Amino acid sequence: MNDLCVQFDGVSKRYKHFSLESIDLQLATGAVMGFIGANGAGKSTTIRILMGLVHQDEGAVQVLGHPMPADQAAAKLDIGFVSEDMRLYGAATLAWHMAFLRPIYPRWDQAYADSLLLRFDLKPEQKIKGLSHGQRVKAALLLALARRPRLLVLDEPTTGLDPVARVEVLEELMAVLADEDRTILFSSHNTKDVEQISDRITFIDRGRIIDCDDKESFLDRWRRLRLVLPPDGVVPRLPDIVQVGGSGRLPVLTTNRFEPAMVSVCNDMGATVQAVDTMTLEEIFVANVHSRRERLTA
Amino acid sequence: MNYAMVRSLIFKDWYFQRKAILLSLAGGLASLGIVIFGGNVGFYIGLIFLITIMIAIGATLVMGTLVGERENQTLAFVMSLPVSYREYSTAKILGNLLIFVPFWFTLVAGSVALIVAAPTIHGLFAFTVIMAVEILTSTCLMIAVALVTESKGWTISAMMVGNLGINVVGYIVAHVPGIKDGMFGTVIQWRPAATISLAIEFALIALFIVGAFYIQSRKKDFL
Repeated sequence: MNDLCVQFDGVSKRYKHFSLESIDLQLATGAVMGFIGANGAGKSTTIRILMGLVHQDEGAVQVLGHPMPADQAAAKLDIGFVSEDMRLYGAATLAWHMAFLRPIYPRWDQAYADSLLLRFDLKPEQKIKGLSHGQRVKAALLLALARRPRLLVLDEPTTGLDPVARVEVLEELMAVLADEDRTILFSSHNTKDVEQISDRITFIDRGRIIDCDDKESFLDRWRRLRLVLPPDGVVPRLPDIVQVGGSGRLPVLTTNRFEPAMVSVCNDMGATVQAVDTMTLEEIFVANVHSRRERLTA
Repeated sequence: MNYAMVRSLIFKDWYFQRKAILLSLAGGLASLGIVIFGGNVGFYIGLIFLITIMIAIGATLVMGTLVGERENQTLAFVMSLPVSYREYSTAKILGNLLIFVPFWFTLVAGSVALIVAAPTIHGLFAFTVIMAVEILTSTCLMIAVALVTESKGWTISAMMVGNLGINVVGYIVAHVPGIKDGMFGTVIQWRPAATISLAIEFALIALFIVGAFYIQSRKKDFL
């Protein structure tokens, strides 16, 4: 039995000014994956390929056991999709949208939709064009969740929201997700949003997956070592150092495979380790992207 | 083919266009009234209104149901539903035709009935039928271009080509010997030239629809 909800094997898509190259991606059933990349990194293209809305030039994509894009209609029956560039019909009410979707999705859960209306503080009789941006995002989430999807795909749902609305949406989303065991792919360029809800993280940059691991592993293995060198001392050469920053006698080494033994190795080489700093996911992402770009240009 | 899904998408488009359609239908029937009761001047003014309304409703439909999905960013919502490209294309082509044709047919039937009922204009029968089908052809061109390109610019261009086509076809048909003769007479005539004209128009309609399906089936990016 295949317990992968999403599987990309060597997927490529080429445009005139951008290409997605050799994407290998696995999302296990029940996992919550944060998909992080800068604007234009290829997140939305990857997600569109996942949804069958863009056809890959090479490679194979399986979603919920369906080959994509060939079997997209069957796959999409079990997917809830909310995207930053998706709009609902402004002239219609939320109630109309629910009535429209109800007969399409056999697992549509009206009781759950009603509970989400209360939780999200939405009025079904209000027209979509009268809603704030935050309310529209919540409405789209409600419509996606009430389908009881096996896979929830959220493509930058918090982009463009003011800070208050963003926190509200994320809080509501986390509360809702705590209810159930769903497979989720959450893409964003905002690492803080992703960090809150994800247990697995994938970084994408310039059309390539650059790293993928459990969130805790990322946070455990990335460290910054702040050193003090003796006069005329040199920066210790350690394995798995992805970046060397700082200046002069105060270098800062960034490693993606931290081992406590690194401290003693530095000390043995004459450098004093002043501090070993943990890194936020945002710092890890930025360091990861920079080190890759430096390697490419070297 | 998931016909239930296709039906849902067609009903959705009808729901959002219903006011424009019903308003246009009322305008079209009023124009027919002007044609019938407006005397000589009213006949021509009513006819112009009627043709304008038929062209306008076709354009409104296409802009609202096809170009509008892209412009209003609702296409992502529609394409996130359990629908394939083929079902989406079918829903859009069939939906536009199912919404437009009854409206068009009502006004054309009214016009034809008027001609049949008024012996003095019996000669206009063939010309009227050909021009009515030309309006349908022009609408199909707009539907095909809008579906394939989803672009306002291209759709407006198709609209202009269609409208020019109506004028050009009107001029040509009015000068085709088999139709011109007796056009202002009092006898209903249907000659081979009229049949050929209709056959060409229906062939064009088929070409536009089949062509749109073909291009859609080769598309690789739907968003």
